Amino acid sequence: MSFMIAGSLEEALTALAAGARPVAGGTDLVVGARQGKAPLPTSLVAIDRLAELTQIEPTDGGIRIGASVTHARLLTDPTIVSDYTALADAAALVGSPSTRNVGTLGGNVMNASPAMDTGAPLMVLGAVAEVQSERGSRTVDLSDLWTGPGQTSAKVDELCVAIDLPSRPARSGSAYVRLEYRRAMEIAVVGAAASVTLADDGTISDGSVALSAVAPTIIEVDGVAELMAGHLPDAVGAAIAAAVAEAAEPISDLRASDSYRRHTVGVMAARAVDAAARRAAGEEISVPVNRAIGVGASR
Amino acid sequence: MPLLTESKHFIRPDGPDKVTGSGRYVADISLTGMLTAKFLYAGVSHARITRLDISAARQVPGVFAVLTQEDVPERRFGSVADRTLFAKDVVRFEGEVIAAVAAVDAEAAQQGLDAVVFEYEPLPAVTDLEAAIADGAQLVHEGWADYEAADVERDGNIASFTSMIRGDVEAGMAEADHVVSSRYVSDASQPAPIEPRGVLAQWEGDRVTIWSSTQVPFQARDGVCETLDLPTNRVRVIVPHMGGGFGGKCGFHYEAHVAALARAARRPVRLVFSRQEEFIAPDRRREGMIIEITTGLRNDGTLTARRARVLLDNGAYSSDASFFPHMAAMQTLGPYKIDNIHVEASSIYTNRQPSGSVRAPTAPQACWALESHTDELAAAIGMDPVAFRQQNCVDTGETGVAGQVYDEIGLQDCIREAVSAIDYSQELDENEAIGVAVGWWPSFPGPSGAFVKIDSDGKGVITTGAQECGTGSVMTLPILAAVELGMEPEDFELVYQDTSAAPYDEGATGSQTILNNGRATVEAAQQIAVQLKSLAAEKLEASPDDIVLADGKAHVAGSPELAVSIADLAGVAAEGEMLLGKGSGTPPEYPSAVGVDCIGDRGLSGWVGPQFSCHAVKIRLDRETGVVRVLDVSAAHDSGVIINPIGASGQVEGGVLMGIGQALTERTVYSEDGAQENPAFLDYKLQTIADAPPIRVHFVEIFTPGVGPHGSKPIAEAPNVATAAAISNAITKLVGRPVAQLPMTAERVWGLMQGRGGG
Ligand SMILES: Cc1cc2nc3c(=O)[nH]c(=O)nc-3n(C[C@H](O)[C@H](O)[C@H](O)COP(=O)(O)OP(=O)(O)OC[C@H]3O[C@@H](n4cnc5c(N)ncnc54)[C@H](O)[C@@H]3O)c2cc1C
Repeated sequence: MSFMIAGSLEEALTALAAGARPVAGGTDLVVGARQGKAPLPTSLVAIDRLAELTQIEPTDGGIRIGASVTHARLLTDPTIVSDYTALADAAALVGSPSTRNVGTLGGNVMNASPAMDTGAPLMVLGAVAEVQSERGSRTVDLSDLWTGPGQTSAKVDELCVAIDLPSRPARSGSAYVRLEYRRAMEIAVVGAAASVTLADDGTISDGSVALSAVAPTIIEVDGVAELMAGHLPDAVGAAIAAAVAEAAEPISDLRASDSYRRHTVGVMAARAVDAAARRAAGEEISVPVNRAIGVGASR
Repeated sequence: MPLLTESKHFIRPDGPDKVTGSGRYVADISLTGMLTAKFLYAGVSHARITRLDISAARQVPGVFAVLTQEDVPERRFGSVADRTLFAKDVVRFEGEVIAAVAAVDAEAAQQGLDAVVFEYEPLPAVTDLEAAIADGAQLVHEGWADYEAADVERDGNIASFTSMIRGDVEAGMAEADHVVSSRYVSDASQPAPIEPRGVLAQWEGDRVTIWSSTQVPFQARDGVCETLDLPTNRVRVIVPHMGGGFGGKCGFHYEAHVAALARAARRPVRLVFSRQEEFIAPDRRREGMIIEITTGLRNDGTLTARRARVLLDNGAYSSDASFFPHMAAMQTLGPYKIDNIHVEASSIYTNRQPSGSVRAPTAPQACWALESHTDELAAAIGMDPVAFRQQNCVDTGETGVAGQVYDEIGLQDCIREAVSAIDYSQELDENEAIGVAVGWWPSFPGPSGAFVKIDSDGKGVITTGAQECGTGSVMTLPILAAVELGMEPEDFELVYQDTSAAPYDEGATGSQTILNNGRATVEAAQQIAVQLKSLAAEKLEASPDDIVLADGKAHVAGSPELAVSIADLAGVAAEGEMLLGKGSGTPPEYPSAVGVDCIGDRGLSGWVGPQFSCHAVKIRLDRETGVVRVLDVSAAHDSGVIINPIGASGQVEGGVLMGIGQALTERTVYSEDGAQENPAFLDYKLQTIADAPPIRVHFVEIFTPGVGPHGSKPIAEAPNVATAAAISNAITKLVGRPVAQLPMTAERVWGLMQGRGGG
């Protein structure tokens, strides 16, 4: 067993090339090993001290979030909260304060759980992952990144260094809504993110919806933009719920049956669209939306 | 009675240790040369052992000892003596210990376990309560008839049976205008203490010291003595700080296994459970239940008769659970006035984790069923459920279900207080409702002892057999000693949780610490008071009868200036006859239950110091998902005079929060063959602090003679009785019918709204 704390990105990439696995906050890796999900890798490289992975910075076409940015930072960062609100909604729901202080965006994305919370928001916000290895760097669409539960298309020597998000259209808003049985330390039973852009007349001009925990990976629902375009936000809820229930391929497990998941993911999606549209219209809905609008009767 | 006003601000002596992290728990203690213990569990719910070979395991490098039932005396134990330390011939649940290994470290211990050859032939797992009592059912214990069990009514898979009959049920039903029948099913749940248990044993010669996170050190000691054939004075059980128990650490658990390993290995050995082990192995979970109740009532609300049948999931072994049927019978009847009753309750062997006392055993589930049923009764005659309870609940001087006539009790006050604190008649949103339920719980008198001494500087030490399980009961003993001696609680330190230092106590079980050990501490302090008064009388030239102990001094009654400090008197006493008190007192006697015909009587029809409660909850329902949130709770309790208000309120708040978990999210899910599917906090969902609603606590303080000190009654379990029931009644108001399954999960509530399930 070997453990190394990387002092530079190069060191980290060298270690990966030599077969080490990265550990950021360790909240999936270490906790999972303890629970017997998978043994700890025999060679580990810690990436949490690499300053270049902890920046949130504007880019030409949007914003770049370093892979080691924690959930606690995401949910308070002014740009994320105002422009990429769905991501802040999701980060605010992760685990508990201690999980959010330690767990990272890169870890969440690369762990590739179908129940991950940041995945659906990133998808509707059009994010791409920047991955880097000694062989060079490339960007990967999220829909190409996640290939199955716990599976990504990244090569073993590739490190996710950042997530890039395009700038947001005018009069747009986003939201992430999760079904929860309790208000902390929860894992998504189902969840849905929505992005909505409004036309001047208040109808929807564009939008997208993505879902957590109803398929082997986070999925984006096809045809949502067409379904919503030209309609007032109030009028699309039922159609969204129906389209989502159709797209979902949920399983039955301890947390819920497939039929309950299929129903509730539709409910979550309709609520996410509603919240996203209200935000697009300029309404302040505080983060996380779950608390603000009373999902799970939390009002 | 003059209770310390200071007690309102009393800071518990173990608080700073626990809050700052300086407190030590079993897992923090290590001894030179200490080995690590690990158990091999059956991993199968029902099977006949065909081969168990540990010879290779004993050869694994770093392994010092490997034990099976072959290596320990053949002794059966439990309230039905149905169990041995290690599995013998047959395994009956997945968490049964097959073998134990002690090795230099966890890895070597695991290699030792891996080298054990364990082969078996599976037997059909008994998991369905109704099927288990049908003719020709597979027996969990083929040899059940040979087990010793005094006063337990048994038959095949029925591990314990109790019936209670009073009056004439047929006639009562015939008098009724309405007969309402309900069936409720509760899943099993878990005590889930934050500290997974630890046991550390070290032998010196033929004596063993065992550090254990047990709630009941003397029972643990006696279990070791019984199973390893040792006299009590050679086994010393010490409990460092304990990280919660909720009943899960009651009973005798793994102390003997670890002591036997340490003896065989000739080294100290420590066992520390993982969270998964804490879920699977102990014989303590809250039993699943099926509760069927039929009640007759008249149009004016009078209850004419009740018939009930209760099936409890006993699990594979009986641990302390053989009194549960009697307890469940009483809970199914409730604190009501009904003259004609017939209840039958059976605890049934299954191939699942054994059930055992978890905070208020049987009560939350049975009360949930009874109180949901009670709202159905009120609905049948169109009466408000609160008014229905006010009419039918027992009050001072009235006769309860088992024929007991109650002295002064405060149940009606509890109803009034809880309902008014929640503002029962407020305007509610269409997705909100308020539910109300009443609960009751007995006190458990028993033997208990304490020593008190005051040393030369006037400072005291209480040495008690009582066990602090986190409730703060032991921490409250200094208040009681201080009151007797005119001193401050802070003048006393505690020596506790050590079976060789202190006299016997039953432990942190049955909410009994203040009731029994409080009595003992008061008696011990009173002996010192007598000594102090006679010393002061000599000094002040007065009669001992005229001496008053107050404010750290002894003074002559009516002349506070004629005084001598207790410290000065202690200095005098230290030179000769020392200030030493010992107490145990006489436990209160159980009142008789009049006119009940009881088969399988466990002495629980007549209750000493019954505690009453009423909980009212306001909930909000997300109608599209079935998720229920509790927005507000008021909990009113009659636990007699409250000695330590901060501690008592903490018990109510914790009990309510635990009740919310039981109501909505907590359940152990079993596979078809009896294995737990969610033995981890990921999918066993406790409530978190983020879920906690405001909890308004109110005590109806009635001086209750003949129970605990200063007119007190116990408090620790009572708050964990009525919450789930109140939540059920609130949900029913919103969805029209009781969910009838516990916990009332979001999906079950939603299913009911879709026209599926429900009672
Ligand atoms: C109590 C608790 C509650 C939780 N609640 C939630 C929740 O509500 N929602 C939710 O989505 N998750 C939750 N999680 C899961 C976890 O906290 C998050 O997924 C977190 O974001 C993981 O980040 P990390 O930095 O801790 O990842 P790590 O555990 O360090 O890593 C996770 C995986 O990703 C790999 N990895 C990490 N960083 C990189 C990188 N930069 N490039 C390539 N691979 C990388 C690791 O090798 C590992 O396989 C919870 C976990 C716990 C323990």
